[in-house]
Amino acid sequence: MKRAPLLVLAGTAAGFVGVLTFHTRPVSATTPGQAQPSAMPSASSAATSSAAAGPAAAGPTRAAAGSTLVRSAAGQIVQFGYGELNVRVTVNGSHITAVSVTDLQTAEPTSQQISEQAIPMLRSEVLSAQSANVNGISGATFTSRAYVQSLQAALDKLNVK
Amino acid sequence: MILSLLCRILRRVSARQISTARPAAAATRRAGGLRRSPAPRPGLVRAGLIVAGLGLGATTALGITAETSGQLTAAGGVVTFAGNLTGLIGTYLALIMVLLVSRIPFLERVAGQDGLLRWHRRLAPWPISLLVLHAILLTAGYAQATRTGLWHQVGTLILSYPDILSATVGLGLMCMAAVISIRAIRRRVRREVWWTVHLYLYLALAFSFAHVIVLGPSFVGHPLTQVVWSAAWAATAGLVLAYRVGLPVYRTLRHQLRVTEVRPEAPGVVSVICQGRHVDQLPVSGGQFLFWRFLTRDMWWQAHPYSLSALPQPPYVRLTVKAVGDHSAALARLQPGTRVAVEGPYGTFTRYAQQRRRVVLIAAGIGVTAVRSLLEDLPRGTKPVVILRAARTEDLALRGEIADLVQRRGGRLHELTGSRAQATIDERSLPRIVPDLSDRDVYVCGPEAFVAGIVDVARCLGVPDEAIHHEAFAL
Repeated sequence: MKRAPLLVLAGTAAGFVGVLTFHTRPVSATTPGQAQPSAMPSASSAATSSAAAGPAAAGPTRAAAGSTLVRSAAGQIVQFGYGELNVRVTVNGSHITAVSVTDLQTAEPTSQQISEQAIPMLRSEVLSAQSANVNGISGATFTSRAYVQSLQAALDKLNVK
Repeated sequence: MILSLLCRILRRVSARQISTARPAAAATRRAGGLRRSPAPRPGLVRAGLIVAGLGLGATTALGITAETSGQLTAAGGVVTFAGNLTGLIGTYLALIMVLLVSRIPFLERVAGQDGLLRWHRRLAPWPISLLVLHAILLTAGYAQATRTGLWHQVGTLILSYPDILSATVGLGLMCMAAVISIRAIRRRVRREVWWTVHLYLYLALAFSFAHVIVLGPSFVGHPLTQVVWSAAWAATAGLVLAYRVGLPVYRTLRHQLRVTEVRPEAPGVVSVICQGRHVDQLPVSGGQFLFWRFLTRDMWWQAHPYSLSALPQPPYVRLTVKAVGDHSAALARLQPGTRVAVEGPYGTFTRYAQQRRRVVLIAAGIGVTAVRSLLEDLPRGTKPVVILRAARTEDLALRGEIADLVQRRGGRLHELTGSRAQATIDERSLPRIVPDLSDRDVYVCGPEAFVAGIVDVARCLGVPDEAIHHEAFAL
């Protein structure tokens, strides 16, 4: 077995390249509500979507003022490995005016801490980008990913692109 | 990673090949109806090496893909990344170390147990240091990320992270085994203590398994890697159970060996003859050894490796032992009827190793046992030259049998007796005894120093390494 190191090296290189070139779809956590995204922004669809999403994910609601432009909706609970969170977004027309995390639970304190540090930063990123298309916070990749996913679900409910 | 699984598949394929290919099947049977150990298949081991490499590469890549550039630039990002990577690679190497000593038959037949143990020892420092580094780096990285002190972080990790406590215990057990295996300490510790501490490594690996799946960035939210990783470990555990526990228990129960006679062969040398069932079905080649466990009140907990000193003669098998330690001395007092548990046979000191048509067999002291059974197993026409070395003529155990076997194969027997200085085998004396040495395979068995000396002499005289085969025993 003189060639043993050579064989191991060849295998290592192949395995390394193999995994690096193997693309997986990003993690998608599923909640009961996800299967039935609401397509219409109207109040009538709000009832159905909130019913489908369960109590945790409230549907879009109209602002009490006469304006029909200010609406808000919660996304869906997204599990991100170290915990789960849910995002609520308020829009005026298609302008994002407020984002908040309604539900944050993590398995342990460090993740809680990391998420809590990241959430304000994510909020300001979203408010300045005016979409769910943000970079995410370094050091809190899982939280960022979940945040964006939940936010996108909320925006979809409001039919804001 | 998927090494063990693939090994299984490969072995199944190879088993099928043997059973369908007529010549191969015939080769595992001897004229006398005895079953021979299957031929070594270096191709399989080469495939295994490639798979082991694939696993290592895949594991490394897995650790890298789990990271994003954003995470790296965050506080403690680089340290955490390094911690995750060392953990993954360290655990993978630990898996390989377990596989190296799991007695997988196709590995044993090619690399031999001493070869596999050598690799196991050579590899050992890597997983342990990588895993210790993993623990330190991740604690430091998490402490940086959360801006807490290192010691505070140690407490947080152990107390509030899932499965970290058990992983820490596992790491402690690994460190214990590592310390006891340091050569200077190993020498002062009884073999049984060392063995027991090593046994706890299985527990350590089991303890640390969960935290990888639950917390590892390459596994959280990645069902595919979770499944593959778990399957690799489950398969490894299965192999260990099958070949270190299952097969020995099966062979012991099947052959039901019992001591029938203890016969003195030379001063301090006894042959233990055991009787059993289906002994012709024991797949053994001449020159191989088994681990013998004599089930008496004070010996049942020790298994020692002794060579068979003859091919099985149903219903008998024979081992010949020299009293050099407590265990081997106690064998002389074995009572007929004592039950015997066996593990094996193992060893590459067989006719399969033979590269050329003719051979020279050299044995010192009790090394004669392996040479005796190998001689019996050699094909006719090998014209073996056998050199036996001992201090006195009466110390030459089994010399009558060997003379007989050598004569029937048209070979020559040389007996060298006297002190080490008088009866030395060196670059000048060996060519005189065996003029065509460089055209022969050299088989040498004896104490470690003797074997090392002969190997050097043979190399010096132009015998290539592939044609030198040795089996050494430690005193």
